[in-house]
Amino acid sequence: MNKENIVEIQNLQKSFDHGKITALNGINLEIKKGEFVSIIGPSGSGKSTLLNMIGALDKADTGSIVVSGNDLIQKKDLSEFRSREIGFIFQLHNLIPNLSVLENVEIPMYEKKMSSSQMRKRALELLEYVGLSDKLKRKPTELSGGERQRVAIARALANEPSIILADEPTGSLDSKTGAMILNRLKDLHEKENVTLIMVTHDMDVASLADRTIKVLDGKIQN
Amino acid sequence: MSFFSLIIKNPFRNKTRSALAIVGIAIGIATIVALGIITDGLKASTEETLKAGGADFSIAESNVSDLFFSKIDEEYIARIKEVDGVNDVVGILMAIQRVEDNPYFVLIGIDPAKLSISNIKVTEGQAFAAGDAKEVIIGKVASEKLNKTVGDTITLNREEYEITGIFQTGDLQQDGGAFLSLENVQAIENKNDTVTMLYVKIDNNADVEEVTAKIEEEYGNDLTTIASLEDLASIDQGLQTIDTASWAISLLAIVIGGIGVINTMIMSVYERTREIGVLKAVGWKDRRILSMILGESIVLTLVAGLVGAIMGILGIQVLLALGMDSFIAPVYSADVFIRAFAVALTVGLLGGFYPAYRASRLPPTEALRYE
Ligand SMILES: Nc1ncnc2c1ncn2[C@@H]1O[C@H](COP(=O)(O)OP(=O)(O)OP(=O)(O)O)[C@@H](O)[C@H]1O
Ligand SMILES: [Mg+2]
Repeated sequence: MNKENIVEIQNLQKSFDHGKITALNGINLEIKKGEFVSIIGPSGSGKSTLLNMIGALDKADTGSIVVSGNDLIQKKDLSEFRSREIGFIFQLHNLIPNLSVLENVEIPMYEKKMSSSQMRKRALELLEYVGLSDKLKRKPTELSGGERQRVAIARALANEPSIILADEPTGSLDSKTGAMILNRLKDLHEKENVTLIMVTHDMDVASLADRTIKVLDGKIQN
Repeated sequence: MSFFSLIIKNPFRNKTRSALAIVGIAIGIATIVALGIITDGLKASTEETLKAGGADFSIAESNVSDLFFSKIDEEYIARIKEVDGVNDVVGILMAIQRVEDNPYFVLIGIDPAKLSISNIKVTEGQAFAAGDAKEVIIGKVASEKLNKTVGDTITLNREEYEITGIFQTGDLQQDGGAFLSLENVQAIENKNDTVTMLYVKIDNNADVEEVTAKIEEEYGNDLTTIASLEDLASIDQGLQTIDTASWAISLLAIVIGGIGVINTMIMSVYERTREIGVLKAVGWKDRRILSMILGESIVLTLVAGLVGAIMGILGIQVLLALGMDSFIAPVYSADVFIRAFAVALTVGLLGGFYPAYRASRLPPTEALRYE
């Protein structure tokens, strides 16, 4: 295994409905540490499924997948891996509606051995980073779409992940707000050297990345 | 924010649903609390009746279903007096009569010379005469309820009795009733030569256990001695029934409350499927999700426990205000409340476990795809 690679996938297969739907049909992929990769492809091609495999939200059927040195086929405690290595950003922000902006950002930190005040301190830093220091007490419904997505970015960064996985992070935003979110992510990637893997439909958005991967029918196109 | 605060916040997201669940469980808890308070009150007043004043123990007919149905031949008064160690014996006959609007007015027939053995203190006027003179003394509570005092008359079994005195024992059942001569109660009840119970006072140097053992040995076929509440509970089916009923109601409250909690929590988990997917995506362990949902369920039932305890106490107040105060003196013991909260906790644990387990086992991708 190449030490430079944070993600190494070989011949990965995943099907649903007892084999009736093949979502991933032999994926081979290497991603270097600190790389910004975008994944494009038509709807239903398997982009989200691939991202979920990298983030250990689901298990593959066959093949091998190693992320940050963890063999995800063998590994038992996947939640611990997710907590330590991965930050997710979804198309829909998926914030918890009854919690404030600040509390939403603290959510991932419960699995770390942190005191309430440490959690708060870290959440405040992150919200300052995404420019929401003035809206700490707001509920998600009291924010604009772009603001919600910035909270989601802050939440994804909470546990200092080595990889950020973003599944169409700008998919539900207008182009101007989307551009602002992308700038945030790119800035994060450049300054903190975080590996960033982003699924998108938009070619312009994809072109911001160091490299673009095209997925078609569960396979990577060269 | 601490994990605990997070758990406390969640049950109040859907206020209507949680309020309904809380009310459902609280009704069960209120019943447990109210019954407990009444049972404890009955036990305390029964104990007081047994230990009445100078008496060391009582004697009732053996094998009766309820103390109230006990019948003892008056002859036994003399026979028991002969037993070694016995100092004095008095026979009483209990009866219940409707007096004005109280259908459960308690009459106790007793020899006026032996009033002291039964701890009766005449606070106003004087004791009634022995024999068939139509005289009566009434308790302080009865005097207030009936608005009658010394010199007034009271109708018992269609005959006029003169009130010669007012007494106070501190026992509600007695203070709400009246004492009169044994002969008069026997006539009212048509139970000549019969008493309900005997109160026994023993010699200073005698031992209660020895004396009761002697009596049981000699007259065990007809009589049973009652020296403690436990003795009483074993012959008094009334107390037994209430005890069994309150356990059955506790069990019912657990089952019904448990089903309510399962339902509420399953709905809550179902609505939050996507959110649970997010929690898994940010690295929460299955165990943390389980603790959160279980914790929410316990918060719900403990609030219900508190509401139920308050409802139970208020319910008792209402019963007392409606006139139950003439024969029930409530006893608020910690035991009742501990039991109520134990039931609430059990309901929370039992009802919360399955929904919490289901939530913890949701596959994260499925949960995140949920619309
Ligand atoms: N949990 C699941 N159960 C059944 N089928 C699934 C499941 N997840 C994905 N699929 C199917 O697998 C295929 C790939 O889905 P995936 O979500 O990866 O596509 P995608 O490339 O992300 O599409 P989109 O651009 O629309 O988000 C699709 O045919 C989809 O219907
Ligand atoms: Mg997708």
